[in-house]
Amino acid sequence: MNIYLREMKAHRTGLIWWCVGMVGLVASGMAKYDAYQGAGVSIEELFATVPKGVMVIFGMTGFDLTKASGFYGVLFLYIALMAAIHAALLGSHLISKEERDRTSEFLYAKPVSRSSALTSKLLAGLTMVVILNIATLLSSFYFVDFFGKGESITADILILMAGLFLLQLIFFTIGTVAAGVVRRPKAAPSIATSFVYLALLVSYLVNMNENLDFLKYLSPFKYFDAAILMADGRLDPVYVALSVVIVVLAVFGTYRFYSARDLTV
Amino acid sequence: MNVIETTKLTKYYGKSRGIVDVDMTVTEGEIYGFIGPNGAGKSTTIRTLLGLIHPTSGSATIFGKDVTTSGPAIREEVGYLPSEVFYYDDMRVIDLLRYSASFYKKDRKAIEQRIKHLAELFDLDLKKKIDDLSYGNKKKVGIIQGLAHEPKLIILDEPTGGLDPLIQQQFFHLLKEENEKGATILFSSHILSEVQKLCDRVAIIKDGSIIKVEQIKTLLENSTKRFKLELVNMPDASAFAIEGVSDLALVNHSVSFLYRGRINEITKMLAGQDLIDFLVEEPDLEEIFMHYYQKEDVQ
Repeated sequence: MNIYLREMKAHRTGLIWWCVGMVGLVASGMAKYDAYQGAGVSIEELFATVPKGVMVIFGMTGFDLTKASGFYGVLFLYIALMAAIHAALLGSHLISKEERDRTSEFLYAKPVSRSSALTSKLLAGLTMVVILNIATLLSSFYFVDFFGKGESITADILILMAGLFLLQLIFFTIGTVAAGVVRRPKAAPSIATSFVYLALLVSYLVNMNENLDFLKYLSPFKYFDAAILMADGRLDPVYVALSVVIVVLAVFGTYRFYSARDLTV
Repeated sequence: MNVIETTKLTKYYGKSRGIVDVDMTVTEGEIYGFIGPNGAGKSTTIRTLLGLIHPTSGSATIFGKDVTTSGPAIREEVGYLPSEVFYYDDMRVIDLLRYSASFYKKDRKAIEQRIKHLAELFDLDLKKKIDDLSYGNKKKVGIIQGLAHEPKLIILDEPTGGLDPLIQQQFFHLLKEENEKGATILFSSHILSEVQKLCDRVAIIKDGSIIKVEQIKTLLENSTKRFKLELVNMPDASAFAIEGVSDLALVNHSVSFLYRGRINEITKMLAGQDLIDFLVEEPDLEEIFMHYYQKEDVQ
Protein backbone atom coordinates (compact mmCIF):
# COMPACT_ATOMS: atom_id res chain seq x y z
CA MET A 1 0.00 0.00 0.00
CA ASN A 2 2.88 2.38 0.81
CA ILE A 3 4.41 1.96 -2.65
CA TYR A 4 0.96 2.35 -4.25
CA LEU A 5 0.36 5.64 -2.43
CA ARG A 6 3.89 6.83 -3.18
CA GLU A 7 3.39 6.19 -6.90
CA MET A 8 -0.03 7.87 -6.94
CA LYS A 9 1.47 10.93 -5.29
CA ALA A 10 4.54 10.99 -7.52
CA HIS A 11 2.43 10.79 -10.70
CA ARG A 12 -0.37 13.08 -9.52
CA THR A 13 0.70 16.23 -11.37
CA GLY A 14 1.54 14.36 -14.54
CA LEU A 15 -1.81 12.60 -14.52
CA ILE A 16 -3.68 15.88 -14.04
CA TRP A 17 -1.93 17.30 -17.13
CA TRP A 18 -2.71 14.20 -19.18
CA CYS A 19 -6.39 14.51 -18.15
CA VAL A 20 -6.40 18.22 -19.01
CA GLY A 21 -4.82 17.36 -22.38
CA MET A 22 -7.39 14.67 -23.05
CA VAL A 23 -10.34 16.89 -22.11
CA GLY A 24 -8.80 19.60 -24.33
CA LEU A 25 -8.51 17.15 -27.24
CA VAL A 26 -12.15 16.09 -26.93
CA ALA A 27 -13.33 19.69 -26.48
CA SER A 28 -11.33 21.11 -29.39
CA GLY A 29 -12.20 18.15 -31.63
CA MET A 30 -15.92 18.49 -31.05
CA ALA A 31 -15.68 22.29 -31.30
CA LYS A 32 -14.42 21.80 -34.87
CA TYR A 33 -17.58 19.83 -35.62
CA ASP A 34 -19.58 22.77 -34.36
CA ALA A 35 -17.48 25.17 -36.44
CA TYR A 36 -17.99 23.15 -39.63
CA GLN A 37 -21.71 22.99 -38.95
CA GLY A 38 -21.88 26.73 -38.63
CA ALA A 39 -19.69 27.47 -41.67
CA GLY A 40 -22.56 27.25 -44.11
CA VAL A 41 -20.85 24.49 -46.07
CA SER A 42 -21.86 20.89 -45.50
CA ILE A 43 -19.25 18.73 -43.85
CA GLU A 44 -19.69 16.17 -46.61
CA GLU A 45 -18.68 18.76 -49.19
CA LEU A 46 -15.74 19.77 -47.03
CA PHE A 47 -14.41 16.25 -46.71
CA ALA A 48 -15.07 15.56 -50.39
CA THR A 49 -12.00 17.74 -51.04
CA VAL A 50 -9.83 15.38 -48.97
CA PRO A 51 -8.22 12.66 -51.14
CA LYS A 52 -9.87 9.29 -50.59
CA GLY A 53 -6.52 7.63 -49.84
CA VAL A 54 -5.89 10.04 -46.98
CA MET A 55 -9.39 9.39 -45.63
CA VAL A 56 -8.74 5.63 -45.72
CA ILE A 57 -5.31 5.84 -44.11
CA PHE A 58 -6.58 7.91 -41.23
CA GLY A 59 -9.63 5.71 -40.73
CA MET A 60 -12.04 8.50 -41.62
CA THR A 61 -14.23 6.40 -43.87
CA GLY A 62 -17.28 4.58 -42.60
CA PHE A 63 -18.56 7.53 -40.61
CA ASP A 64 -21.48 9.84 -41.24
CA LEU A 65 -19.56 13.07 -40.73
CA THR A 66 -22.72 15.15 -40.73
CA LYS A 67 -23.50 13.70 -37.31
CA ALA A 68 -21.74 14.37 -34.06
CA SER A 69 -21.39 10.61 -33.57
CA GLY A 70 -19.55 10.24 -36.87
CA PHE A 71 -17.31 13.14 -36.08
CA TYR A 72 -16.59 11.67 -32.65
CA GLY A 73 -15.71 8.36 -34.31
CA VAL A 74 -12.95 10.08 -36.29
CA LEU A 75 -11.80 11.91 -33.19
CA PHE A 76 -11.58 8.59 -31.32
CA LEU A 77 -8.47 7.58 -33.27
CA TYR A 78 -6.61 10.56 -31.82
CA ILE A 79 -8.03 9.90 -28.36
CA ALA A 80 -6.85 6.30 -28.64
CA LEU A 81 -3.39 7.39 -29.78
CA MET A 82 -3.03 9.81 -26.88
CA ALA A 83 -4.27 7.27 -24.32
CA ALA A 84 -1.97 4.59 -25.76
CA ILE A 85 1.09 6.86 -25.53
CA HIS A 86 0.15 7.75 -21.94
CA ALA A 87 -0.28 4.09 -21.00
CA ALA A 88 3.00 2.98 -22.59
CA LEU A 89 4.96 5.80 -20.98
CA LEU A 90 3.28 5.22 -17.61
CA GLY A 91 3.96 1.48 -17.63
CA SER A 92 7.60 1.80 -18.57
CA HIS A 93 8.22 4.76 -16.28
CA LEU A 94 6.67 3.14 -13.20
CA ILE A 95 9.07 0.21 -13.47
CA SER A 96 12.24 1.82 -14.83
CA LYS A 97 12.35 5.03 -12.81
CA GLU A 98 13.73 3.41 -9.65
CA GLU A 99 16.80 2.36 -11.59
CA ARG A 100 16.94 5.52 -13.72
CA ASP A 101 16.89 7.72 -10.60
CA ARG A 102 19.07 5.22 -8.73
CA THR A 103 16.52 4.85 -5.93
CA SER A 104 16.30 1.08 -6.51
CA GLU A 105 19.07 0.50 -3.96
CA PHE A 106 16.98 2.33 -1.34
CA LEU A 107 13.72 0.61 -2.21
CA TYR A 108 14.89 -2.96 -2.62
CA ALA A 109 17.11 -2.91 0.48
CA LYS A 110 13.80 -2.62 2.35
CA PRO A 111 11.85 -5.70 3.40
CA VAL A 112 9.84 -5.84 0.20
CA SER A 113 10.02 -8.41 -2.56
CA ARG A 114 10.27 -7.27 -6.14
CA SER A 115 7.00 -9.00 -6.98
CA SER A 116 5.05 -7.23 -4.23
CA ALA A 117 6.61 -3.89 -5.22
CA LEU A 118 5.62 -4.65 -8.81
CA THR A 119 2.05 -5.47 -7.76
CA SER A 120 1.75 -2.10 -6.02
CA LYS A 121 3.18 -0.31 -9.03
CA LEU A 122 0.90 -2.16 -11.45
CA LEU A 123 -2.14 -1.34 -9.31
CA ALA A 124 -1.13 2.32 -9.19
CA GLY A 125 -0.74 2.28 -12.96
CA LEU A 126 -4.10 0.60 -13.39
CA THR A 127 -5.72 3.27 -11.22
CA MET A 128 -4.20 6.04 -13.34
CA VAL A 129 -5.26 4.34 -16.58
CA VAL A 130 -8.82 4.16 -15.23
CA ILE A 131 -8.73 7.82 -14.16
CA LEU A 132 -7.67 8.94 -17.66
CA ASN A 133 -10.34 6.71 -19.16
CA ILE A 134 -13.02 8.21 -16.90
CA ALA A 135 -11.83 11.73 -17.71
CA THR A 136 -12.13 10.85 -21.42
CA LEU A 137 -15.56 9.29 -20.88
CA LEU A 138 -17.00 12.21 -18.96
CA SER A 139 -15.55 14.85 -21.27
CA SER A 140 -16.85 12.90 -24.28
CA PHE A 141 -20.36 12.77 -22.78
CA TYR A 142 -20.26 16.47 -22.07
CA PHE A 143 -18.76 17.84 -25.27
CA VAL A 144 -20.57 15.52 -27.69
CA ASP A 145 -23.80 16.53 -26.00
CA PHE A 146 -22.78 20.20 -25.94
CA PHE A 147 -21.79 20.46 -29.62
CA GLY A 148 -24.01 17.66 -30.89
CA LYS A 149 -27.20 19.65 -30.42
CA GLY A 150 -29.04 16.94 -28.54
CA GLU A 151 -27.79 13.96 -30.52
CA SER A 152 -27.39 11.20 -27.96
CA ILE A 153 -24.56 8.70 -28.53
CA THR A 154 -24.16 7.48 -24.97
CA ALA A 155 -24.06 3.82 -26.02
CA ASP A 156 -21.46 4.52 -28.71
CA ILE A 157 -19.23 6.40 -26.28
CA LEU A 158 -19.53 3.64 -23.69
CA ILE A 159 -18.50 0.93 -26.14
CA LEU A 160 -15.64 3.06 -27.45
CA MET A 161 -14.42 3.72 -23.90
CA ALA A 162 -14.54 0.00 -23.14
CA GLY A 163 -12.34 -0.56 -26.19
CA LEU A 164 -10.12 2.32 -25.16
CA PHE A 165 -9.65 0.75 -21.74
CA LEU A 166 -8.46 -2.52 -23.24
CA LEU A 167 -6.17 -0.61 -25.59
CA GLN A 168 -4.73 1.29 -22.62
CA LEU A 169 -4.17 -1.97 -20.72
CA ILE A 170 -2.36 -3.50 -23.69
CA PHE A 171 0.07 -0.61 -24.05
CA PHE A 172 0.44 -0.16 -20.30
CA THR A 173 1.55 -3.76 -19.87
CA ILE A 174 3.74 -3.60 -22.99
CA GLY A 175 5.38 -0.62 -21.25
CA THR A 176 5.93 -2.56 -18.02
CA VAL A 177 7.35 -5.63 -19.74
CA ALA A 178 9.63 -3.45 -21.89
CA ALA A 179 10.97 -1.85 -18.69
CA GLY A 180 11.36 -5.29 -17.13
CA VAL A 181 13.40 -6.60 -20.04
CA VAL A 182 15.45 -3.59 -21.15
CA ARG A 183 18.72 -3.26 -19.26
CA ARG A 184 19.10 0.48 -19.81
CA PRO A 185 16.33 2.11 -17.74
CA LYS A 186 16.49 5.38 -19.68
CA ALA A 187 15.71 3.57 -22.93
CA ALA A 188 12.55 1.84 -21.64
CA PRO A 189 10.01 4.67 -22.26
CA SER A 190 11.16 5.28 -25.84
CA ILE A 191 11.08 1.54 -26.58
CA ALA A 192 7.57 1.32 -25.10
CA THR A 193 6.26 4.23 -27.19
CA SER A 194 7.92 2.74 -30.29
CA PHE A 195 5.43 -0.12 -29.95
CA VAL A 196 2.59 2.42 -30.05
CA TYR A 197 3.90 4.05 -33.24
CA LEU A 198 4.63 0.68 -34.81
CA ALA A 199 1.07 -0.49 -34.06
CA LEU A 200 -0.29 2.73 -35.54
CA LEU A 201 1.83 2.28 -38.66
CA VAL A 202 0.56 -1.29 -39.06
CA SER A 203 -3.04 -0.04 -38.76
CA TYR A 204 -2.36 2.52 -41.54
CA LEU A 205 -0.88 -0.22 -43.74
CA VAL A 206 -3.94 -2.39 -43.18
CA ASN A 207 -6.21 0.56 -44.03
CA MET A 208 -4.26 1.23 -47.24
CA ASN A 209 -4.03 -2.28 -48.60
CA GLU A 210 -6.71 -4.94 -48.26
CA ASN A 211 -4.15 -7.66 -48.99
CA LEU A 212 -2.49 -6.81 -45.70
CA ASP A 213 -5.67 -7.44 -43.74
CA PHE A 214 -4.05 -10.35 -41.86
CA LEU A 215 -1.73 -7.80 -40.20
CA LYS A 216 -4.70 -6.38 -38.29
CA TYR A 217 -4.00 -8.82 -35.47
CA LEU A 218 -0.63 -7.13 -34.92
CA SER A 219 -2.11 -3.70 -34.25
CA PRO A 220 -4.27 -3.16 -31.15
CA PHE A 221 -5.56 -0.02 -32.87
CA LYS A 222 -7.37 -2.29 -35.33
CA TYR A 223 -8.94 -4.30 -32.49
CA PHE A 224 -10.98 -1.28 -31.52
CA ASP A 225 -11.80 0.35 -34.85
CA ALA A 226 -14.36 3.04 -34.00
CA ALA A 227 -16.45 2.60 -37.17
CA ILE A 228 -16.86 -1.13 -36.54
CA LEU A 229 -17.49 -0.74 -32.80
CA MET A 230 -20.16 1.90 -33.39
CA ALA A 231 -21.80 -0.13 -36.16
CA ASP A 232 -21.77 -3.41 -34.21
CA GLY A 233 -22.52 -1.86 -30.82
CA ARG A 234 -20.24 -4.40 -29.17
CA LEU A 235 -16.60 -5.44 -28.86
CA ASP A 236 -15.41 -8.26 -31.11
CA PRO A 237 -14.91 -11.30 -28.77
CA VAL A 238 -11.86 -12.42 -30.80
CA TYR A 239 -10.13 -9.10 -30.24
CA VAL A 240 -11.16 -9.01 -26.58
CA ALA A 241 -9.69 -12.48 -26.10
CA LEU A 242 -6.53 -11.46 -27.96
CA SER A 243 -6.24 -8.34 -25.77
CA VAL A 244 -6.60 -10.41 -22.60
CA VAL A 245 -3.92 -12.85 -23.80
CA ILE A 246 -1.51 -9.99 -24.61
CA VAL A 247 -2.12 -8.32 -21.22
CA VAL A 248 -1.76 -11.57 -19.25
CA LEU A 249 1.44 -12.52 -21.09
CA ALA A 250 2.88 -9.03 -20.66
CA VAL A 251 2.08 -8.98 -16.93
CA PHE A 252 3.57 -12.45 -16.51
CA GLY A 253 6.66 -11.36 -18.45
CA THR A 254 7.01 -8.24 -16.31
CA TYR A 255 7.08 -10.27 -13.08
CA ARG A 256 9.35 -12.90 -14.60
CA PHE A 257 11.97 -10.58 -16.09
CA TYR A 258 11.94 -7.91 -13.41
CA SER A 259 12.35 -10.40 -10.57
CA ALA A 260 15.19 -12.19 -12.34
CA ARG A 261 17.22 -9.16 -13.32
CA ASP A 262 20.22 -7.65 -11.60
CA LEU A 263 19.18 -4.16 -10.60
CA THR A 264 21.20 -1.28 -11.97
CA VAL A 265 22.40 0.69 -8.95
CA MET B 1 25.95 -17.83 15.83
CA ASN B 2 26.86 -16.73 12.32
CA VAL B 3 24.87 -13.76 11.12
CA ILE B 4 26.34 -13.79 7.63
CA GLU B 5 27.73 -16.86 5.98
CA THR B 6 28.75 -17.16 2.36
CA THR B 7 30.03 -20.28 0.65
CA LYS B 8 31.91 -19.98 -2.62
CA LEU B 9 29.76 -16.98 -3.47
CA THR B 10 30.46 -16.01 -7.06
CA LYS B 11 29.09 -13.29 -9.28
CA TYR B 12 29.95 -12.63 -12.90
CA TYR B 13 28.45 -9.75 -14.88
CA GLY B 14 28.37 -11.48 -18.24
CA LYS B 15 32.01 -12.35 -18.72
CA SER B 16 33.43 -9.77 -16.35
CA ARG B 17 34.37 -10.81 -12.85
CA GLY B 18 32.49 -9.51 -9.84
CA ILE B 19 33.45 -11.86 -7.01
CA VAL B 20 34.84 -15.39 -7.08
CA ASP B 21 34.39 -18.08 -4.41
CA VAL B 22 33.92 -15.67 -1.53
CA ASP B 23 33.74 -17.49 1.81
CA MET B 24 32.85 -15.13 4.60
CA THR B 25 31.57 -15.66 8.11
CA VAL B 26 30.39 -12.78 10.26
CA THR B 27 29.47 -13.78 13.79
CA GLU B 28 26.77 -12.23 15.94
CA GLY B 29 27.80 -9.03 17.68
CA GLU B 30 31.05 -8.40 15.83
CA ILE B 31 32.09 -5.44 13.73
CA TYR B 32 33.48 -7.00 10.61
CA GLY B 33 35.59 -4.89 8.30
CA PHE B 34 35.57 -5.54 4.61
CA ILE B 35 38.44 -3.80 2.96
CA GLY B 36 39.77 -3.63 -0.55
CA PRO B 37 40.48 -1.17 -3.33
CA ASN B 38 37.75 0.12 -5.63
CA GLY B 39 36.54 -2.59 -7.99
CA ALA B 40 37.73 -5.40 -5.70
CA GLY B 41 34.19 -6.74 -5.21
CA LYS B 42 33.03 -5.22 -1.91
CA SER B 43 29.84 -3.69 -3.30
CA THR B 44 29.12 -6.76 -5.41
CA THR B 45 29.29 -8.94 -2.29
CA ILE B 46 27.02 -6.58 -0.35
CA ARG B 47 24.50 -6.19 -3.18
CA THR B 48 24.34 -9.95 -3.54
CA LEU B 49 23.69 -10.29 0.20
CA LEU B 50 20.88 -7.75 -0.10
CA GLY B 51 19.31 -9.48 -3.11
CA LEU B 52 19.82 -6.49 -5.42
CA ILE B 53 21.79 -8.74 -7.73
CA HIS B 54 21.66 -12.51 -8.07
CA PRO B 55 24.68 -14.75 -7.49
CA THR B 56 26.08 -16.74 -10.40
CA SER B 57 26.94 -19.62 -8.08
CA GLY B 58 27.57 -20.38 -4.43
CA SER B 59 25.29 -19.50 -1.55
CA ALA B 60 24.80 -16.89 1.12
CA THR B 61 22.72 -16.85 4.27
CA ILE B 62 21.85 -14.09 6.71
CA PHE B 63 20.36 -15.08 10.08
CA GLY B 64 20.47 -18.63 8.69
CA LYS B 65 18.11 -17.75 5.83
CA ASP B 66 19.02 -17.97 2.16
CA VAL B 67 19.40 -14.49 0.65
CA THR B 68 17.91 -15.55 -2.68
CA THR B 69 14.68 -16.97 -1.24
CA SER B 70 14.11 -15.10 2.03
CA GLY B 71 15.11 -11.57 1.05
CA PRO B 72 12.19 -9.61 2.58
CA ALA B 73 12.30 -11.53 5.89
CA ILE B 74 16.07 -10.98 6.14
CA ARG B 75 15.88 -7.29 5.27
CA GLU B 76 13.32 -6.74 8.04
CA GLU B 77 16.31 -6.88 10.40
CA VAL B 78 18.91 -5.25 8.15
CA GLY B 79 19.88 -1.59 7.92
CA TYR B 80 21.86 -0.56 4.85
CA LEU B 81 23.79 2.54 3.95
CA PRO B 82 25.35 2.54 0.47
CA SER B 83 28.38 4.54 -0.61
CA GLU B 84 26.31 6.87 -2.76
CA VAL B 85 22.83 7.82 -1.66
CA PHE B 86 19.94 8.61 -4.00
CA TYR B 87 16.44 9.38 -2.80
CA TYR B 88 13.23 10.77 -4.23
CA ASP B 89 14.04 14.41 -4.88
CA ASP B 90 10.42 15.57 -4.66
CA MET B 91 10.01 14.31 -1.08
CA ARG B 92 10.71 16.10 2.16
CA VAL B 93 13.22 14.41 4.47
CA ILE B 94 10.56 13.44 7.01
CA ASP B 95 8.32 11.98 4.29
CA LEU B 96 11.21 9.93 2.92
CA LEU B 97 12.05 8.64 6.40
CA ARG B 98 8.39 7.81 7.10
CA TYR B 99 8.19 6.07 3.74
CA SER B 100 11.28 4.09 4.71
CA ALA B 101 9.76 3.25 8.12
CA SER B 102 6.52 2.10 6.49
CA PHE B 103 8.26 -1.00 5.14
CA TYR B 104 9.05 -2.39 8.59
CA LYS B 105 6.70 -4.32 10.85
CA LYS B 106 8.17 -2.70 13.96
CA ASP B 107 6.30 -0.18 16.09
CA ARG B 108 5.92 2.92 13.93
CA LYS B 109 5.91 5.28 16.91
CA ALA B 110 9.22 3.94 18.18
CA ILE B 111 10.78 4.39 14.73
CA GLU B 112 9.35 7.91 14.49
CA GLN B 113 10.87 8.81 17.86
CA ARG B 114 14.22 7.41 16.84
CA ILE B 115 14.11 9.35 13.57
CA LYS B 116 13.66 12.55 15.58
CA HIS B 117 16.44 11.60 17.98
CA LEU B 118 18.89 10.81 15.18
CA ALA B 119 17.93 13.96 13.26
CA GLU B 120 18.76 16.00 16.35
CA LEU B 121 22.01 14.15 16.83
CA PHE B 122 23.11 14.84 13.26
CA ASP B 123 21.53 18.30 13.14
CA LEU B 124 19.35 17.44 10.14
CA ASP B 125 16.34 19.57 9.17
CA LEU B 126 13.49 17.10 8.60
CA LYS B 127 11.31 19.61 6.82
CA LYS B 128 13.71 20.25 3.94
CA LYS B 129 13.18 18.79 0.51
CA ILE B 130 15.64 16.07 -0.45
CA ASP B 131 16.51 18.01 -3.59
CA ASP B 132 17.66 20.99 -1.49
CA LEU B 133 20.08 18.97 0.67
CA SER B 134 23.85 18.99 0.32
CA TYR B 135 25.49 15.63 -0.33
CA GLY B 136 26.63 15.41 3.28
CA ASN B 137 23.09 15.97 4.52
CA LYS B 138 21.73 13.36 2.11
CA LYS B 139 24.25 11.00 3.65
CA LYS B 140 22.81 11.82 7.08
CA VAL B 141 19.37 10.90 5.72
CA GLY B 142 20.97 7.64 4.63
CA ILE B 143 22.29 6.95 8.11
CA ILE B 144 18.89 7.64 9.70
CA GLN B 145 16.90 5.52 7.22
CA GLY B 146 19.39 2.71 7.77
CA LEU B 147 19.38 2.79 11.56
CA ALA B 148 15.93 4.10 12.54
CA HIS B 149 14.38 0.63 12.84
CA GLU B 150 17.23 -0.60 15.10
CA PRO B 151 18.34 -3.43 12.83
CA LYS B 152 20.14 -6.50 14.11
CA LEU B 153 22.53 -6.33 11.15
CA ILE B 154 23.94 -3.05 9.83
CA ILE B 155 25.57 -3.19 6.41
CA LEU B 156 27.66 -0.18 5.46
CA ASP B 157 29.26 0.17 2.06
CA GLU B 158 31.95 2.86 2.19
CA PRO B 159 29.63 4.98 4.30
CA THR B 160 31.82 7.91 5.29
CA GLY B 161 32.20 9.66 1.92
CA GLY B 162 30.66 13.13 2.12
CA LEU B 163 30.59 13.21 5.92
CA ASP B 164 32.74 15.84 7.63
CA PRO B 165 35.14 14.60 10.36
CA LEU B 166 32.88 15.65 13.25
CA ILE B 167 29.86 13.85 11.81
CA GLN B 168 32.06 10.86 11.01
CA GLN B 169 33.07 10.72 14.67
CA GLN B 170 29.42 10.92 15.79
CA PHE B 171 28.52 8.26 13.27
CA PHE B 172 31.24 5.91 14.51
CA HIS B 173 30.16 6.57 18.09
CA LEU B 174 26.58 5.70 17.13
CA LEU B 175 27.73 2.51 15.43
CA LYS B 176 29.63 1.47 18.54
CA GLU B 177 26.51 2.12 20.62
CA GLU B 178 24.43 -0.02 18.27
CA ASN B 179 27.08 -2.73 18.46
CA GLU B 180 27.04 -2.63 22.26
CA LYS B 181 23.26 -3.06 22.10
CA GLY B 182 23.84 -6.24 20.10
CA ALA B 183 23.89 -5.21 16.46
CA THR B 184 26.30 -6.96 14.11
CA ILE B 185 28.03 -4.66 11.65
CA LEU B 186 29.53 -5.32 8.23
CA PHE B 187 31.66 -2.31 7.39
CA SER B 188 33.10 -2.03 3.91
CA SER B 189 35.78 0.54 3.17
CA HIS B 190 38.88 1.24 1.16
CA ILE B 191 40.30 3.36 4.00
CA LEU B 192 42.37 1.26 6.37
CA SER B 193 42.28 3.74 9.27
CA GLU B 194 38.44 3.71 9.34
CA VAL B 195 38.41 -0.05 9.62
CA GLN B 196 41.15 0.05 12.27
CA LYS B 197 39.10 2.45 14.40
CA LEU B 198 35.94 0.42 14.35
CA CYS B 199 36.35 -3.22 13.51
CA ASP B 200 37.17 -6.39 15.41
CA ARG B 201 38.05 -8.47 12.40
CA VAL B 202 38.76 -7.61 8.82
CA ALA B 203 38.55 -9.42 5.51
CA ILE B 204 40.77 -8.17 2.72
CA ILE B 205 39.35 -8.56 -0.76
CA LYS B 206 41.36 -8.22 -3.92
CA ASP B 207 40.34 -8.92 -7.52
CA GLY B 208 37.07 -10.45 -6.37
CA SER B 209 38.53 -12.88 -3.86
CA ILE B 210 39.09 -12.67 -0.13
CA ILE B 211 42.83 -13.05 0.32
CA LYS B 212 43.04 -12.71 4.09
CA VAL B 213 40.87 -12.52 7.18
CA GLU B 214 42.68 -11.07 10.18
CA GLN B 215 41.96 -9.85 13.68
CA ILE B 216 42.40 -6.09 13.48
CA LYS B 217 45.00 -6.36 16.27
CA THR B 218 47.18 -8.61 14.13
CA LEU B 219 46.78 -6.33 11.17
CA LEU B 220 47.88 -3.34 13.24
CA GLU B 221 50.93 -5.18 14.52
CA ASN B 222 51.91 -6.03 10.99
CA SER B 223 50.82 -2.81 9.38
CA THR B 224 53.17 -1.04 7.06
CA LYS B 225 53.74 2.73 7.24
CA ARG B 226 55.23 4.99 4.64
CA PHE B 227 57.90 7.36 5.92
CA LYS B 228 58.93 10.48 4.03
CA LEU B 229 61.95 12.39 5.35
CA GLU B 230 63.52 15.68 4.39
CA LEU B 231 67.14 15.83 5.59
CA VAL B 232 69.66 18.65 6.02
CA ASN B 233 72.49 16.51 4.63
CA MET B 234 72.59 14.11 1.74
CA PRO B 235 71.17 10.84 3.06
CA ASP B 236 73.30 7.79 3.62
CA ALA B 237 71.53 4.64 2.39
CA SER B 238 73.30 2.42 4.90
CA ALA B 239 71.55 4.20 7.79
CA PHE B 240 68.23 2.85 6.47
CA ALA B 241 69.40 -0.71 6.08
CA ILE B 242 67.37 -1.99 9.02
CA GLU B 243 64.97 -4.88 9.15
CA GLY B 244 61.45 -4.04 8.01
CA VAL B 245 62.42 -1.23 5.60
CA SER B 246 61.46 -1.70 1.98
CA ASP B 247 60.80 0.33 -1.15
CA LEU B 248 63.63 2.72 -0.17
CA ALA B 249 64.05 5.74 -2.44
CA LEU B 250 66.69 8.45 -1.97
CA VAL B 251 66.31 11.55 -4.12
CA ASN B 252 68.56 14.51 -3.27
CA HIS B 253 67.77 15.36 0.36
CA SER B 254 64.56 13.34 0.42
CA VAL B 255 64.08 9.80 1.59
CA SER B 256 60.99 7.65 1.24
CA PHE B 257 60.48 4.07 2.43
CA LEU B 258 57.94 1.62 3.76
CA TYR B 259 58.44 0.20 7.25
CA ARG B 260 56.87 -2.78 8.92
CA GLY B 261 57.88 -3.65 12.46
CA ARG B 262 58.30 -2.12 15.88
CA ILE B 263 57.96 1.64 15.64
CA ASN B 264 60.65 2.13 18.33
CA GLU B 265 63.30 0.73 16.02
CA ILE B 266 62.60 3.37 13.42
CA THR B 267 62.43 6.27 15.89
CA LYS B 268 65.88 5.28 17.23
CA MET B 269 67.23 5.47 13.68
CA LEU B 270 65.46 8.77 13.06
CA ALA B 271 67.00 10.26 16.20
CA GLY B 272 70.39 9.98 14.51
CA GLN B 273 69.29 11.95 11.46
CA ASP B 274 69.40 15.72 11.01
CA LEU B 275 65.76 16.20 9.97
CA ILE B 276 64.09 19.22 8.39
CA ASP B 277 60.72 17.50 8.17
CA PHE B 278 59.18 14.08 8.27
CA LEU B 279 55.86 12.53 7.46
CA VAL B 280 54.39 9.18 8.41
CA GLU B 281 51.41 8.05 6.45
CA GLU B 282 49.44 4.94 5.82
CA PRO B 283 50.32 3.29 2.60
CA ASP B 284 47.43 2.95 0.20
CA LEU B 285 45.87 -0.44 -0.12
CA GLU B 286 47.75 -1.29 -3.25
CA GLU B 287 50.99 -0.85 -1.30
CA ILE B 288 49.69 -3.10 1.47
CA PHE B 289 48.86 -5.74 -1.09
CA MET B 290 52.26 -5.31 -2.72
CA HIS B 291 54.25 -5.57 0.47
CA TYR B 292 52.24 -7.01 3.31
CA TYR B 293 50.72 -9.78 1.24
CA GLN B 294 53.59 -10.44 -1.10
CA LYS B 295 54.10 -13.88 0.37
CA GLU B 296 50.44 -14.84 0.27
CA ASP B 297 50.19 -13.75 -3.35
CA VAL B 298 53.23 -15.80 -4.31
CA GLN B 299 51.75 -18.82 -2.55
